[in-house]
Amino acid sequence: MRAGQGHSFLLRRLHSLSGIIPVGAFLFEHILISNATATGGPAAYARQVRFLGGLPFVTVLELFGIWLPILFHSLYGFYIWWRGESNVTDYPWTGNWMYSAQRWTGIIAFAYIVWHTWTMRFSGIDLHLFPGAAFGKVQAEVFHTGLFLFYVAGLIAASWHFAYGIWLFCAKWGIITGQKAQKRLLVLCLAFFFVMTGAGLASLTAFRSRPQQPTARIRSALKAVLTPPKT
Amino acid sequence: MADSKSVLFKIRRQGSPHTSPHWEEFSLAWHPGMNVISSLMEIARNPVTRDGKPTTPITYDANCLEEVCGSCAMLINGTARMACSALIDKLEQPVRLEPLSKFPIVRDLAVDRSVLFENLKRAKAWVPIDGTYDLGSGPRMTMEEQEAAYPLSRCISCCCCMEVCPQFNEDTGFVGAATISQVRLFNTHPTGSALKRERLAALMGDGGIQECGYAQNCVEICPKDIPLTRSISEVGGAVMKQAIGDLFRK
Repeated sequence: MRAGQGHSFLLRRLHSLSGIIPVGAFLFEHILISNATATGGPAAYARQVRFLGGLPFVTVLELFGIWLPILFHSLYGFYIWWRGESNVTDYPWTGNWMYSAQRWTGIIAFAYIVWHTWTMRFSGIDLHLFPGAAFGKVQAEVFHTGLFLFYVAGLIAASWHFAYGIWLFCAKWGIITGQKAQKRLLVLCLAFFFVMTGAGLASLTAFRSRPQQPTARIRSALKAVLTPPKT
Repeated sequence: MADSKSVLFKIRRQGSPHTSPHWEEFSLAWHPGMNVISSLMEIARNPVTRDGKPTTPITYDANCLEEVCGSCAMLINGTARMACSALIDKLEQPVRLEPLSKFPIVRDLAVDRSVLFENLKRAKAWVPIDGTYDLGSGPRMTMEEQEAAYPLSRCISCCCCMEVCPQFNEDTGFVGAATISQVRLFNTHPTGSALKRERLAALMGDGGIQECGYAQNCVEICPKDIPLTRSISEVGGAVMKQAIGDLFRK
C-alpha cells in the first residue's frame, strides 16, 4: 500500500458508484419500466419509446447518462478483473464464487450490451424517428432462437450483476455492516434479481407471443423520406 | 497411505530465493496427537527422505505452538493455515506442505511476511502514548466497546487473510484485511483515535481499502475468527465519510 497516494481510491469508488447511478438506475428503468410496457402491446410500447426518444437533449442524456458511464464501468471493471487473481478452485466458498460470478456476469452483460446497443440504437430503423417500428424491430430479433437466448443470457447476467452489485456497494461503502444485516440485504437483493429477471422474461414473452409487427412498411416509408426526390 | 502406522509428507523445498523448488517425500511413524509442526521437528531430528536419502532439515517458522504467535502459517494440502494446530489425524495423506504463495520465499517453508509489518506502520496501527511526561491512566472504555474491540485484538499477523485474498498481489498492492481490521481496532480505542484521520487517509492510497473485492475469503480462513469483513465494511464507511467530508471542508 502506498499510504495516502494515487488516484485509485477515487476511480474505484466512482466505478462502484457508477454501477448504481446511473448504470443501475438505467437498467432498472429499462427492464422494469420501459420494457415492461411491451406486455401492454405494440401501441403501449411505441408510446414509451416515443416518450423516451422525445426527451429534451436526449442524445446528451444517452451519452452522459448511459453510454459513457457504462463504458467507464466496463473498462475499469476489466482492469479490476485483470489485476485480481481468482482462487475459487482452492477456496470454493460462496463469497469467493460470487466474486468470480460478478466478473463473468459483467463480461456477458458487456458483450450483450455492445451488441444490443449497436443493433437497436445504431443500425436498422431509427426508433427515435419511428417509435412505431420499435415493437417489430425487437420482434425481428427475439423470434430468432439464438438471439432470443442471447437476450435471456444478457438479462440474467445484467440482473445478477446489478442485484449483487447493490449488495457489494452497501457492504463496501459501509452502509450495511453487520453480519445479520448483510444477510438480510442479500435476501432482498436475491429477490430483486428474480423480480428483474421475471419482468424481463415477461417482456420477452410479450414480444414473442404476438405476430410479427410490420417494420418493412415503416422502413420503406423511411427510405422515401430520406431519398432525395429525383428532379 | 503405505501402511496404517506411518504418515506420509510431500514437502516443497527451496534452498534459497534464487533456486528452483523441488519436492521431497518423508515418512514418519504415526503416534497420537501429532501435528504438522511436531512432524517437522521429527524430520529435523532425522532428516532422511522416504527413499532413505539423507537431506537437510526443513526450514520453517514456528514459535508458540499454540496458535497465538502467527508464525507457522503455510499451505497445508493447498490451504493456508497454522501448522501447529493442523492435526495429522484430520489431514488427508500424503500431507502436502508448501510455503505461502504470495510472500517472498526465504527458504523451504519460511517466507518473508514483513509486508504486513510495513502496512501496519503505514496505517499507524498503534496507540500514541509516547511523550515526555506521564499521561496518567487512559479514558475508560465501556463494556460494549471492549467486547467489540477484543476480537479484533486477537490478530496474530499470520497473513492467512492476505494469502487467500484474490485481490492481494503485487499488481494491486492491496493492504489486506489484517491491517484494515487493526485500523478499526485502534480507531475505536479512545486514545488510539487521536490518529484516526491519518489512518483513514492512509487507507485511501493506492492499494488501500478500495482494492477489496469482498470475496470474503479472509473471514473464512482467519484462524482467530476475527470479523474481518465487518471491519472492512466499518472502516470502508469511515473512509468514505472522511473522503466526502474532505471534498467539502478541505
